[in-house]
Amino acid sequence: MSAGSPAPADRDRLAAEHVIGLLEGDERREAERLAETDPGFQSALAAWQARFAELDDTAAPIPASGALWSRIEAGLDAERTAPAPLIVPSPASAFTALWRSLSFWRTAGLAGAFATLLLGFGVGLLANRAAREPVVIAVLLTGQNQPAAVVNAFADGRAELTPLAGFQIPAGRALEVWAIPGPNQNPISVGVVSEARSLALDLARLPGIRPDHTIAISVEPPGGSPTGLPTGDVILTGRATTAL
Amino acid sequence: MQGALGKLTSPAATDLNDALRRVAQGDRAALRAVYDAEASRMLGVAARLLRRRALAEEAVHDTFVQVWQKAAGFDPARGGARAWLYAILRNRALNILRGENRTDLVEDFEPMGLEAPEEDPEAAVLRLSDTGALKRCLERLEPVRRKAVLLAYVEGLSHGELAGRLGVPLGTMKSWIRRSLIALKECMA
Repeated sequence: MSAGSPAPADRDRLAAEHVIGLLEGDERREAERLAETDPGFQSALAAWQARFAELDDTAAPIPASGALWSRIEAGLDAERTAPAPLIVPSPASAFTALWRSLSFWRTAGLAGAFATLLLGFGVGLLANRAAREPVVIAVLLTGQNQPAAVVNAFADGRAELTPLAGFQIPAGRALEVWAIPGPNQNPISVGVVSEARSLALDLARLPGIRPDHTIAISVEPPGGSPTGLPTGDVILTGRATTAL
Repeated sequence: MQGALGKLTSPAATDLNDALRRVAQGDRAALRAVYDAEASRMLGVAARLLRRRALAEEAVHDTFVQVWQKAAGFDPARGGARAWLYAILRNRALNILRGENRTDLVEDFEPMGLEAPEEDPEAAVLRLSDTGALKRCLERLEPVRRKAVLLAYVEGLSHGELAGRLGVPLGTMKSWIRRSLIALKECMA
């Protein structure tokens, strides 16, 4: 499974050339994507930054003016008064509480769980069709830029993953869905899937899926990552964006 | 003398870690402390890449606004605070260099694009610590290849600009860089 992650040697070259500033165009975009989604690439970047860091100390300092600080402060204020990004509220229904409950998963079979899930969706559909219009969407692409899944976040605070034709789960493994709130931020697990079926995402640790979040899917042991961070290859990634 | 020495040495990494932790909580005085400690050096790094003070200030400005927004995402386990800060700065400066101000910059170049650098990149090597692995390993590279790596990192030259400056085909330059980076990694391991 190397769709979303280049081979280690190529990944290291990409990290090195990104750090010395030589990547342009597609390769630079690829490196920026991996820098947000791929823990292996992040460590390669950190190692290369550390190797070259001493060169930054050789730059002759230029006195930093108070005027520059004033402009920075003005920038902070402008940032604070800018309109807040659209936030999809977290779900708080009994259904999602049940969905999140570990003991529920330990006692219920997957088939039963999915029946519950589908029933939940059916009830939701009848109850509030408008709430089912996605407000934020992420199309997840393979390393070959083939769409393989879609994440829809709804106005009522729920979010779900819908697998597409290219969605493949390696035998004996599970796929874990991660939301990455921004560059240099740790991925937050929002669900584990072991069958190519729709999955309601767990937004307990996230204030909803927001535009510009990166969604990534990694290959993990059954049940999900033992460490709380991606441990296997990242095979699908996509950037969340506002649905019009 | 001890007092003066204490002022001259850059703040310990833990101070910067601590400052970033407070920045993440919205402490503007902590951001100012980071500015006081690092902004001069950051301007120097950005000016080597961007050649112009106004652009260097823009890069430092944008970096501090990003630090303010993203300090919560800084994870000390993944690397030092200083490395994190300079990675943001270099990335921003390179975006300015390669992106929106590209055409603007070209006007500054001499007709052949061979503007003389402000200083020989070898001068940067001379200022590296004699005991550090980076200096020892850079010095083991063939001089022209070392120059290519330094011009890329320090002055932000692209593959194409390096090939032009050093008078070799683009493919040769790419291969030089690739092999030099592998050699550096092995040497510094």
